[in-house]
Amino acid sequence: MTEKQKLFDNVGIGEDMLSMEHITKIYENGFVANSDVNFSVRRGEIHGLVGENGAGKTTLMKVLFGQETPEEGRILIGGQEHKIESPLDALEYGIGMVHQHFMLVDNLSVTDNMLLGVEPVKGGIVYDRKEARRRVIEVSKKYDLDVDPDAIVGDLSVGYKQRVEILKILIRGAKLLLLDEPTAVLTPQEIKELFVQLKKLKEQGFSIVFISHKLNEVREICDRITVLRLGKSIGTADMTNITEDDITKMMFNRDVKLKIDKAPAKPQETVLKVRDLTFKDAQGKNAVSHVSFDVRAGEILGVAGVEGNGQAELADIIAGLLPIQSGDVLVNGRSLKSAKSIREIREMGVSLMHQDRMTYGASKDQSIEENIIADRYYQKQYKKFGLLNWKKVRQDSKEYVKEFVVKCEGPGAAVKTLSGGNIQKVVAAREFTTDAKFMLVCHPTRGIDVGAAEVIRKKIVALRDEKQTATLLFSADLGELLSVSDSLVVMYAGQIVAYFPDASQVDEQTLGEYMLGVKKQSDEEIGGVLFA
Amino acid sequence: MRKLEPMNKSQQIERRFSVLRTVLAIVISMAIAFILIVTVSDNPGKDFMTLLTGPLRNTSNLTAIISKMIPLLFTGTAICLVNSAGQINIAAEGAFFGGAVAATAVAIIPGIPSMIHIPLCILAGALAGSIVMGIPGILHVRYNAVTIVVALMINYVALYLGMYVILNPLRDPAAGFEASYQFAQSARLPYLFGNSRLHIGLLFGIAAVVIGYVVLYHTGFGLSARTVGKNQKFGTYSGMPVGKTIVGISVLAGALAGVGGTVETLGNYQRFMYGGFTNHGWDGVMLAVLCHNKPHYMPLAALFLAYIRTSADALNFTSNIPPEIINVIQAVIIILVAAERFLAGWEHKAIVGSTKRAMKAEGSAE
Repeated sequence: MTEKQKLFDNVGIGEDMLSMEHITKIYENGFVANSDVNFSVRRGEIHGLVGENGAGKTTLMKVLFGQETPEEGRILIGGQEHKIESPLDALEYGIGMVHQHFMLVDNLSVTDNMLLGVEPVKGGIVYDRKEARRRVIEVSKKYDLDVDPDAIVGDLSVGYKQRVEILKILIRGAKLLLLDEPTAVLTPQEIKELFVQLKKLKEQGFSIVFISHKLNEVREICDRITVLRLGKSIGTADMTNITEDDITKMMFNRDVKLKIDKAPAKPQETVLKVRDLTFKDAQGKNAVSHVSFDVRAGEILGVAGVEGNGQAELADIIAGLLPIQSGDVLVNGRSLKSAKSIREIREMGVSLMHQDRMTYGASKDQSIEENIIADRYYQKQYKKFGLLNWKKVRQDSKEYVKEFVVKCEGPGAAVKTLSGGNIQKVVAAREFTTDAKFMLVCHPTRGIDVGAAEVIRKKIVALRDEKQTATLLFSADLGELLSVSDSLVVMYAGQIVAYFPDASQVDEQTLGEYMLGVKKQSDEEIGGVLFA
Repeated sequence: MRKLEPMNKSQQIERRFSVLRTVLAIVISMAIAFILIVTVSDNPGKDFMTLLTGPLRNTSNLTAIISKMIPLLFTGTAICLVNSAGQINIAAEGAFFGGAVAATAVAIIPGIPSMIHIPLCILAGALAGSIVMGIPGILHVRYNAVTIVVALMINYVALYLGMYVILNPLRDPAAGFEASYQFAQSARLPYLFGNSRLHIGLLFGIAAVVIGYVVLYHTGFGLSARTVGKNQKFGTYSGMPVGKTIVGISVLAGALAGVGGTVETLGNYQRFMYGGFTNHGWDGVMLAVLCHNKPHYMPLAALFLAYIRTSADALNFTSNIPPEIINVIQAVIIILVAAERFLAGWEHKAIVGSTKRAMKAEGSAE
């Protein structure tokens, strides 16, 4: 054990083990992620770090984990100032981080993943797989986190992978665990399991920083919380003497309306028709398996499901990124097989919002206006003497920027200078203004602040009412699915396992059971999603 | 013209540092040049002045600068185009050469009126150039071939095929050296002013720059090219014709480079006399980097490079400094200017400082 690792051991349970003082982090583009933030963790506590997206939670943790260098401020460990230069350095101090997106190698085993970089060695060169396996079993037993050392990580569920990630930092000697939105990708059942594990770790003297913006979770598991808002620390409090209302106020400083006002849908004729769609992925697995459903004009059909159950493939097939291998997809009666390009699909009256905003949804180095006209620049309205009519482009972009409340210097500003929420508003300003008959909307508010999410959700509903748009909504945010959708289907293992004609009659627990494959509706019930 | 939106503070600082970076790079490289000159020259003071101001000392040197600029305008713009679309298509060298050969084949035909002959030559050059630069684009789109590799190879195909054509069917046995038949008088480019030796290729060069700029920034095709260059997946998902765009921009770039070869040959020579690569294509790559692929900066960048080249010639005539030194100086300038992280630390500090001041100002205003 190194000197650095001993620092935490000298701290008694319940005492401050680490504190961050006056942390200021400014990014290259001038964005102030953290401004004079104070934060401390006690030994043996679970400390919630809450705040809207973009409040600076992840940045603060990255500073603590040595991934970002702050411009100002210091980190005290056991009362003394220490510099954390890199993640390796952080691990030496006993600080480990589980990122939102797992850092695991899919085609290696659990054992190989856990000891990657710190492998036990035989005779100075050979990887001692037996010893490695033994250590994995030992650690797994010690912390009561059950894993199969020989399982291939790629085959594991998300919750399982997370367990591997946690063990991975425990085996490296972490005493302080930083968990960045660990529940974002989990089902309700998996979240329960995780909480049991975290509480056990706490009892063994580990400290955990739990990043979240779900108050019920924070309430359930945290001892204290620190609230960040717009890069500043608003305050720290014991959970016992603070109400959820207080926290909400600290986070947003305004009363947030969680429900969306919307009238019942008045569905009309079928616009999108998916029939017996099956897609084999590169591994030969049926990623999408015999999926059939309809989306009608004036209706929002939500698709629920744990990530990796075929939703991404389904969305990409409808968008034309992946081919239709078998079955068919029709828009207003015309098969997508007859479309030779994504432009042709779009010209059939389809608009597409991809789940990966920064890769498919926007071009960060280009201006807002160039992003907005990317799907329509070739149309007559933007041409003048064969050249692009920049005047018209700018005029329209200005209106869209206003309509979608994009906070920016102007439509000429580069997209990369905007925050995530505002980037998504730019994407929406393009995809929601095409007079589409059918909209494919994937994870429209993932990772963006509440204000921006509200703008986007309201717009989806408004288009349903004003233009009778048929919308297929994919989302991992169950609250969003339940409040925005009119009806719901659940995908599990590439199939539709449930159909709920009225989304308002469904609760998260029920959805969770179908999402995990615990329950499955009868074919007749599922067949209710077919109309024409 | 597009009106520039008011920039925010951070963007202003970025812009300012971009200028500072270029100026400082030139100053540093001049300092290095001075040190080099001191070590090899018998008369460093005089030679250094020649390096700085030599090209300005007489009109023939001034003409030389402009003449040297002309081909660079074409190849530089060509590379700006393909680079903007994310294609590392360095076949401008071969396109330039191929253009010159094709133009030669047309230019030696006698009995065509000048008004038709010159456009015909230019057409031939454009066609040859667009084939040379188009092939890497097409192979990339159709077969996912790595553009830079194909481009590198196609350069040699263009070179040796061109040399074969020149030295066999087009060779003038009466010339006494390896060269083509003489160009018909009607194919020679007229001079701009009397006998200044400044041919009308300059106008074509400027036209090439304007075409490059207008296409990239004022057409839908250019928008899709730049989008494909910045984020191809985004372009695809937005419905842009990615393949057509890549092929189209490669062909257009090739046409420009080919016309460059045409103009350079018909403007300066009486027969085709190149025995190998002319390096104008490579220079184009360098200039495009200097210009951040923006054609409208190309005249300035080309002027700069032409100036240095003319300085080198002047030094060559008046001193005992080997011309290689000038190449070293050029390389240093390009390396420093092209290095984006150069001064990045300062830049970051400046942005942090300005943001902090803004925060303070906001705080006190509240």
